[in-house]
Amino acid sequence: MTAPIIELRNINKSFGPIDVLHDINIKVHAGEVLCLLGDNGAGKSTLIKILSGVHKPSSGSILMDDAAVAFSTPREATDRGIATVHQFGGTFPLMSIGRSFFVGVEPTKGWGPFRIFDRKKANEIAVKAVRDFGITRIDDGDRLVGGLSGGERQSLAIARAVHFGARVLILDEPTAALGVKQATHVLRIVNEAKKRGLAVIFITHQVMHAMAVGDHFAVLIRGSVAADFRKGEKSREEITDLMAGGETIADLEKEIENYMASHDGHPPPVTPG
Amino acid sequence: MTSMPLASIFRRPEAGSLVGLLMVVAFFVVTGGVEFLYLSSVGSWLSRAANLGIIAIPVGLLMISGELDLSVGSMITAGSMITALVSGFYGLPIIVGIMAALGFGILVGMLNGYLVVRTHVPSFIVTLGTLFAVAGLLLGLNIVLTGTTTVTLMAPELAKTLFGKYFGQGFQVLIIWWIVITAAFVFFVHYSPYGNWIFAIGGDKVSARNSGIPTERMTILLFVLSAVSAAFVGMSQAILFQAVQATPQMTLIFNTIIAVVVGGVLLTGGFGSVIGIFFGTITFAVVTQGIYYTSFDQTWSNLIIGVLLLGAVLMNNTFRKMALTYAPKKK
Amino acid sequence: MKTLKKMMATAAVLAVSATAALAADIAVIGGKNDDAFWNKIKKGVDDARLVVEANGGKVNYLRMQSYDNFAADSAEIIRTAISQKPQGLAVPDWVYDSQDPAIKEAIAAGIKVILFNAGTWDKAKELGALNYIGSDEYVAGRAGGEYLVKQGAKNGICINTLPGTANIEARCKGMIDAMTEAGAKAEQLPLPSTSFGDPVAIAEAVKATLTSKPEIDGALAIGAGEADASAIGIAQAGKTGQVKLGCFDFNEATLGRIKSGEQAFAIDQQPYLQSLLAITLLAGHIDFGTDLPTRPVLTGPGIVDGSNVDATIAGVKIGAR
Repeated sequence: MTAPIIELRNINKSFGPIDVLHDINIKVHAGEVLCLLGDNGAGKSTLIKILSGVHKPSSGSILMDDAAVAFSTPREATDRGIATVHQFGGTFPLMSIGRSFFVGVEPTKGWGPFRIFDRKKANEIAVKAVRDFGITRIDDGDRLVGGLSGGERQSLAIARAVHFGARVLILDEPTAALGVKQATHVLRIVNEAKKRGLAVIFITHQVMHAMAVGDHFAVLIRGSVAADFRKGEKSREEITDLMAGGETIADLEKEIENYMASHDGHPPPVTPG
Repeated sequence: MTSMPLASIFRRPEAGSLVGLLMVVAFFVVTGGVEFLYLSSVGSWLSRAANLGIIAIPVGLLMISGELDLSVGSMITAGSMITALVSGFYGLPIIVGIMAALGFGILVGMLNGYLVVRTHVPSFIVTLGTLFAVAGLLLGLNIVLTGTTTVTLMAPELAKTLFGKYFGQGFQVLIIWWIVITAAFVFFVHYSPYGNWIFAIGGDKVSARNSGIPTERMTILLFVLSAVSAAFVGMSQAILFQAVQATPQMTLIFNTIIAVVVGGVLLTGGFGSVIGIFFGTITFAVVTQGIYYTSFDQTWSNLIIGVLLLGAVLMNNTFRKMALTYAPKKK
Repeated sequence: MKTLKKMMATAAVLAVSATAALAADIAVIGGKNDDAFWNKIKKGVDDARLVVEANGGKVNYLRMQSYDNFAADSAEIIRTAISQKPQGLAVPDWVYDSQDPAIKEAIAAGIKVILFNAGTWDKAKELGALNYIGSDEYVAGRAGGEYLVKQGAKNGICINTLPGTANIEARCKGMIDAMTEAGAKAEQLPLPSTSFGDPVAIAEAVKATLTSKPEIDGALAIGAGEADASAIGIAQAGKTGQVKLGCFDFNEATLGRIKSGEQAFAIDQQPYLQSLLAITLLAGHIDFGTDLPTRPVLTGPGIVDGSNVDATIAGVKIGAR
């Protein structure tokens, strides 16, 4: 097998006295989808920030193509081909599709101080890039991003990352806020990105979505990788149980029953957070 | 898309402000009569608009990028005061006074920008601070240097022709400046690649920075532009009116924000256009000047201004929603 | 405000130690030190001080720090003055409701009080003050109206950038009453609050009004800054000289226009006289028991027009006008 595009070796991260990540080891190859599963607070977002150059690890190393790399800014990570797409697409709701697609790398035409933004070219490229991903409903680059559906926005952001040469695509809960149909849309695009040979890191807590596209799964619990397995090695229930922190759902149900029996049939009080 | 169908014009950010403008003009032609459209009347409300508009555009761009600038209220006084002090009280050549006024604008703009960028204190608070600080500084300096609060300036004819004169039937020369400046800003914001950055910063600052936009330098530049524009207008007013009082024009702050919002800029940033602000400024000037042509009792003018401006803003909201919910019909 | 109080406290200590002198010790209260008007008052204070000090007395000019909390601060500053135990107090009665109790406390403490600049003789009588020295806004407004009529104006406007403010309304009312009584017409031009302090807004408003009402031939602006802008508005309507312009108070530009004939006149309440007279009358009363039977003493309206503009300019140069 060839070297993984990106690999984390023994990554630790602490904020002052608080250890957030311990000894994280993961690797993703080209054309592979790694699903990073975990409950809220398991350290998923810290891991994303390390991958995308927002935070530096306290110890451990990041390797790309078997060579150690260090990112001091998100910009450096982007230059290395690591693209992060956030839950709401991370795009600009009140900008047009063409303009938001090219933010920071505007195509221009003309000369010297009179170089102007090439709206026609920007729109054409943006619309084509999204349509290549199978989103055929987008055909006018002047439309505002805010007018697109959640799935279309995600797709636009992914298409943008791919267009600008991303090799590693980090998707942060892309399906969390979406309905079933929209989520299917996004999953299809994840598959498309995989087919094009990108390494995809797909963060989610929806096991169904993960199982639909994942080749490889890592479950994060309290900052450590609690399980690391390949497609088909575990069932949906097993994964759910793992995410719940080792306790099985069956155990939980039992606990609740016991509680209700000893409290005149009242369910346990819900503590927020 | 070579032709621009009517529907797509309505989705542009300036559509609402244009409709709003036509609405108020129609209102005053009906209630005030055609006198309102005589050349001398047009000169009157355009002059008013020019003074406001030169400041409203950069303030509007700041709002598009998600910031506010309240310090223009004292920067306009700074512009006129410094010009009058340097060239009136001390009698230095007018060019020195103009340069000093604009230079002070650059200084305060950079201060505003640096404070906002470095401290992350909301620009509302930072510029509220500089608003009062500059007002206090001017007053203090003025008392110490001249012993009065009013300074007189007799500018040479060339300076008057350039900045403080009327031509035709009461058209202030500043109107030409305003149109030229607007054209320059239209190019900068809507045609040059840099304009895109302003919208991106206002839409999502973190994403914009991650996309490689120098967000901090851009923000500082915008603050400098608004402070310098206010100083510029102040300088022209000193040359035109010849006497300068050291009181800040607090109402200017509201007037710029009104013009910008009526012009279709979203108060929370990320959306708007220079042409929209241009129309918004004229709308504001038409509304405030139009009152004098009607037979309404002047006592009610504030009420009428308020209602008309609210109407214009609602018009904007409607059009922005139209732009957002628009999706082409399936063919 | 805190530092002010501290300074006042220090001053109070000094004042107590200084009351050993038998001659008049007079406190004067005035507006902010960046307020041009109150600097003319200061010139009167300074000139009166020469007289008082010549007789071994002293004068202390206490000035408001800000106008933001006016009602409360204007009463507080009187109490600060009382704490210094002066023998005489010259005070403007700006806000009856808040200041009257403080003025009564001063009188109860045995301090001789003269109201100046703001107040009326009736108010002075009611409080037990010796006199009121100042002007009457309504009377001043009437003087403006009468002057306009004398200049041949038939249709006047009172350019009001602060509609709803009591003393400004009184100015306009006086002008309108005087013109109406003389058989001419007059009305207010109240400007919306969006134009306050904005010379362009005032100039264009005046121009628009003159365009839509060509019969107007007289205008009275409520202040000198307003007159600067109004003069431009009149010029733009092409009516310089045809529309007689007058204003309350004046600045250098006003005087320049009067000298060149672009403006007819300015109404002055002659603030220099207010403080000068108030202090010298108080001192004379305290030191020698003199009393002026004229009550109230009106220091205005004084009219500045072509006939006395040169002397006025000389006064401006030394800060007396």
